[in-house]
Amino acid sequence: MRLEKCWFCSSTVYPGHGIQFVRNDAKIFHFCRSKCHKNFKMKRNPRKVKWTKAYRRLHGKDMTQDSTFEFERKRNRPERYDRNLAENTLKAIKKIDKIRSDRASDHIKNRLKTGKVQRQKEARKQLELGIHLVKAPLALAQDSSLCLPKIKDNVSQAQTEENQPMEE
Amino acid sequence: MIQPQTHLNVADNSGARELMCIRVIGASNRRYAHIGDVIVAVIKEAVPNTPLERSEVIKAEIVRTRKELKRDNGMIIRYDDNVAVIIDQEGNPKGTRIFGAIARELRQLNFTKIVSLAPEVL
Repeated sequence: MRLEKCWFCSSTVYPGHGIQFVRNDAKIFHFCRSKCHKNFKMKRNPRKVKWTKAYRRLHGKDMTQDSTFEFERKRNRPERYDRNLAENTLKAIKKIDKIRSDRASDHIKNRLKTGKVQRQKEARKQLELGIHLVKAPLALAQDSSLCLPKIKDNVSQAQTEENQPMEE
Repeated sequence: MIQPQTHLNVADNSGARELMCIRVIGASNRRYAHIGDVIVAVIKEAVPNTPLERSEVIKAEIVRTRKELKRDNGMIIRYDDNVAVIIDQEGNPKGTRIFGAIARELRQLNFTKIVSLAPEVL
């Protein structure tokens, strides 16, 4: 029994799932489900189909280079069964899996950081411009204690304590 | 799912290029032939200057089909075309070489000669 990777989306194909297609030059294509199989029959290039791992790796959406990938190489020589080895391997698989998924999610978080900062800036700008929709200008002028919250900046950390937060 | 009138390619060097199925060997009203079944076929296209000629009726053994082959372990295999190997009455292949991949099922069905000649058994 061997866990293969789907040729189209790169997910693991477990036994009992999917179809294997053998081309005339004896190259075998494994598919995890009919969605991938049908896309293949349509001659779609997985590197151009947004939801596949191939696309995500190619366009830097997912982590590509990491030392944890070295553990999951394809090995063609069967190992002689050794109870200790099997036990240690199982423990290692769990640990490596956790590390790899943590690193992958960190990669994505870092990638999305710049967008988050940008969106916060834009939201702040919008609030400044449209403050008259939130609080009447007259009320703003009368109650000078009300004002916009400062951006939590490392530089201006001291200033945030002085200004009171804005009412909703 | 090979039935009469189905055209099949030939995977050996017996001299035929294309066969047309005439009959599925088995029960009297047997509809379809799959990988591992014997069919009676007529040669539609042959390589010139070989012992086999066009419009000769011969027996063939199906080795690859476009219809999926289901295995007991849940594996499903589909090939790219419908291909047969020409055999004689005993089940020995007429050619000396086989081209392309062969399904493992043929070994259980006593077509050992075909399996041994095959470049790849899947």
